[in-house]
Amino acid sequence: MLILQLLLNGLQTGMLYALTAAGFSLIFGMTRIFHAAHGATFVIAAYAYWHITSLAGLPWWVAALGATMAAVIFGAGLYLTVYRRIQRSEASFFTVFIAAFGAVVVVQNVISMIYGRGFVSSSTPLSRAKELIPGLYVAPLIWVSVAVAAVFFGAMALLLKRTRLGVAMRALADNPELVRVYGLDPGRISLMVFVIGSILVVPAAIIQVIATGANPAVGHHIVMISLAASIVGGIGSLSGAAIAGILIGVAETLALLVVGSQWTEAVSFLILFVFIIVRPAGIFGRAHAH
Amino acid sequence: MTSYLLNILVFVCINGILAVTLNFILGYAGIFSLAHAAFFGIGAYVAANVGLHVGPSILLAMPAAMIVCALLSVLLALPALRVRGEYFVAASLGLQIIAVSVFAEWHSVTGGLGGLVGIPVPEIFGFRIAGAGPMAVLSLAMLALISGFLAVLTRSSFGRNLMAIRDSESASLAFGKRIAATKVLSVAISAGLAAIAGVLYAFYVRFVNTESFMLDTSILLMAMVIIGGTGSLWGPILGATLITLLPPVLSYVPYLPPQQVGSIQQIIYGMAMILLMVFQPSGLVALFKRKEKSQ
Amino acid sequence: MDMTKLTFRISGLALALAGSIAGTAFAQDHSLGALYPMSGSNAEYGQIFSSGSELAVRHVNEDAMLPGGLTLQIEDSQALPAQGVTGMNKLVSVDQIPYVMTSFTGVSKAIAPIGAETGTVMINGGGVGPDLAELGPYFWNIIPLANDEMRALVPYVVNELGLQRAVLIYVDDPLGQSVLEVLEDLVPQNGGELVGEHSIPVTAQQFSGIAATVRTQRPDVIFIASYGAQQAALVKQLRDNGLDQQLASYTSFSTPTMQELPEAAGALFTQQYIDREKGDALTQRFFDDYIAEYDRDPSIYVVNYYNAVMLYANLAQYVDEQGQELTGENLLAARQAIGSFEFVGSTVTFNENGTVQAPIEIRRLTGNSGSEAVTIVE
Repeated sequence: MLILQLLLNGLQTGMLYALTAAGFSLIFGMTRIFHAAHGATFVIAAYAYWHITSLAGLPWWVAALGATMAAVIFGAGLYLTVYRRIQRSEASFFTVFIAAFGAVVVVQNVISMIYGRGFVSSSTPLSRAKELIPGLYVAPLIWVSVAVAAVFFGAMALLLKRTRLGVAMRALADNPELVRVYGLDPGRISLMVFVIGSILVVPAAIIQVIATGANPAVGHHIVMISLAASIVGGIGSLSGAAIAGILIGVAETLALLVVGSQWTEAVSFLILFVFIIVRPAGIFGRAHAH
Repeated sequence: MTSYLLNILVFVCINGILAVTLNFILGYAGIFSLAHAAFFGIGAYVAANVGLHVGPSILLAMPAAMIVCALLSVLLALPALRVRGEYFVAASLGLQIIAVSVFAEWHSVTGGLGGLVGIPVPEIFGFRIAGAGPMAVLSLAMLALISGFLAVLTRSSFGRNLMAIRDSESASLAFGKRIAATKVLSVAISAGLAAIAGVLYAFYVRFVNTESFMLDTSILLMAMVIIGGTGSLWGPILGATLITLLPPVLSYVPYLPPQQVGSIQQIIYGMAMILLMVFQPSGLVALFKRKEKSQ
Repeated sequence: MDMTKLTFRISGLALALAGSIAGTAFAQDHSLGALYPMSGSNAEYGQIFSSGSELAVRHVNEDAMLPGGLTLQIEDSQALPAQGVTGMNKLVSVDQIPYVMTSFTGVSKAIAPIGAETGTVMINGGGVGPDLAELGPYFWNIIPLANDEMRALVPYVVNELGLQRAVLIYVDDPLGQSVLEVLEDLVPQNGGELVGEHSIPVTAQQFSGIAATVRTQRPDVIFIASYGAQQAALVKQLRDNGLDQQLASYTSFSTPTMQELPEAAGALFTQQYIDREKGDALTQRFFDDYIAEYDRDPSIYVVNYYNAVMLYANLAQYVDEQGQELTGENLLAARQAIGSFEFVGSTVTFNENGTVQAPIEIRRLTGNSGSEAVTIVE
């Protein structure tokens, strides 16, 4: 029974990881930008949601909209003002990374100055676990998470396969120059990628505020897990990121059966390490890692 | 006041050694490693254990730390270097995280999160190196030695091989260069020399614990190299100086409300990184090169 | 060396020199130092500690206790040892400060050798790891350490409340490990049983797995030894995952975050006993002014860092009266001479090794921005 419980808990955690990883993977896969500030987008969305529900007392869907707007403004804004400028000059892969890291530091401290450094959370009955069958405690939030994740991933899949924008985005991932030849503007497509990637973060941020609680430093951890899940799942593959996120969440929780709780973080990264060595392209990635 | 400035100088040199050695694999070999702080830490823990259990001799601690780091780095490099640059980043990230977990849990060797305290004052041939002054002299000397060594190395045929591999692996392969061996050797050299920074740190602060060797430090070291400018000799030293000096300089900015001082300093720090990357992405050293050319 | 790099170095030096000149102009004034985490993940504590110290400095100056006035120099340690060392070096060599308030076990252990060598008094009002009692004569602790707190809490919980099966969730650092050691002794001694112990990494945020494992151990009480944002996340997730056993912890549960967390309602915690009704002007003014400014009750950390400043004021007065120079050595002698001090809410006596003996109070969080007293243990 403990195994089943841990499995379910891991699934919940995994959903959160899957959503953040999906946004990161999308951006990295399509634009080749190592958007290390994805964690900052997460923190901004989380605090925006919390502010609108807890401080302003408005209903949750208003807060969700507000959080989405905040996330998009930040993600797209960062792309336009920082990343695009850097890309125009002769910059190495890591120049963007350092700039993004700078952005994370700025965001973390601005939020600390406004909201204090403590922990914030929204209490809702959604996160309370109830005993379904003896020994198995499940919170309604898990069904909500699964549903939300399914909706978002479904929408993403539709977007990528069926719409012109989606096709353009996939073309961008394969060959930016070719996109230009066909009369499309890679810059505008990249901007859309950032917008969509940032939107994907919002449900995860909301779940975090409700289930786990947020604090200004929470972005760091999220970025690392997103990176790990993106690589394990295969860069640019949404389904890969999703499956990898769930895999990491479940592994992290199930690991408790085997190792002490202090090793659970190392377990996630051991998985990453093993994948890189054995199958660097990830679960669904294209095989051009060598 | 002098001892305060000397204290900062010691940290500038320690960071300088780390930046210069990271630049060796990053700028010259094209290997992006996020695990440099882990090797810094391993070097420091080895030195701490030597100091606590064997004796305060730096001449004993340095080779010990260098060997341990070089060997461990080979363990990372051998499997991970088979994959392309971007994936190596993630592998090194994994190694860094795992290393921190080991540092935090292996209580008998690392003291766990409490760390190792009471490391003795170091000695060379019986001569005590106590305080910021003598340590600054030693650190400067080590920085000079290591930079000099790497400068010579990069101009040698080994260095040229490295740069050829960075620029095009397939071409190098066609020329019969032994890619894997060269890359692994460069990682070993980089890690082995970074260990020296760890030794200096352990014997100066005389207290080591996990917090100084985490991912944040790795990222900061990378920032030093990139802000200073990769692929050059002075770049990483410039970057290390700048980043090490920024917090103390910021602590003298007047009129900041005391409760927000820390956050404001960090915000300036972060903005500086962003602006530097946007306006001078090839690093500050490129500024001087351009000036020289225009003269 | 490039001109630009040289220029940068010189301007950095000039700035530093300017700062020190500005500092020496006030050398006659009294100055004390503090190493608090003003940024980074533990900055919440820095906010709390500095609010107490700053209020005390204000009161000292209002009362004109020290000629020339008292100033507080806070350096940001970020709760990290290396930053702590740099900050300590600055306070000692640049600002010539003989008395530094510190926090966090890791930082304290790192600066202890510097204080010992330079004869600078270091006083801790926040960290509770027992090894803080062994850092030399210049390291003082104004807060009872974890072993003392647990020695009061465990008998109450196990015997008086009858909660015999105990589980401990602890952060894997010196604090957590010391609480584990203490509980491993005390729980069986009082007729209880430690049925589970779980160590969590400092950066962990997901605890549903631990909650599930704890549930299978069927405890009556869950002890928690953590701090910062993590302890709040832990408590929330334990409750969310269906664990409604009694929670118990140490002083760290007194932070505003924990006081306001609805899921933490009912949790027991220990802190040194502060008698609000002590009736003296010092205590009264402290509470009145703090509540007026911050609109909430001051936590024990605020009290400790207020008292630490007051201690300095008392010692400095004594040293001045003796016509002596204001050095750490003389401050230490003053403390040993005076021995006992009237502080906010209590009379504090220092032991030989620089720790304090204080009655411990057990309180319960109300889940509504406050806590209520339960009992006091001598």
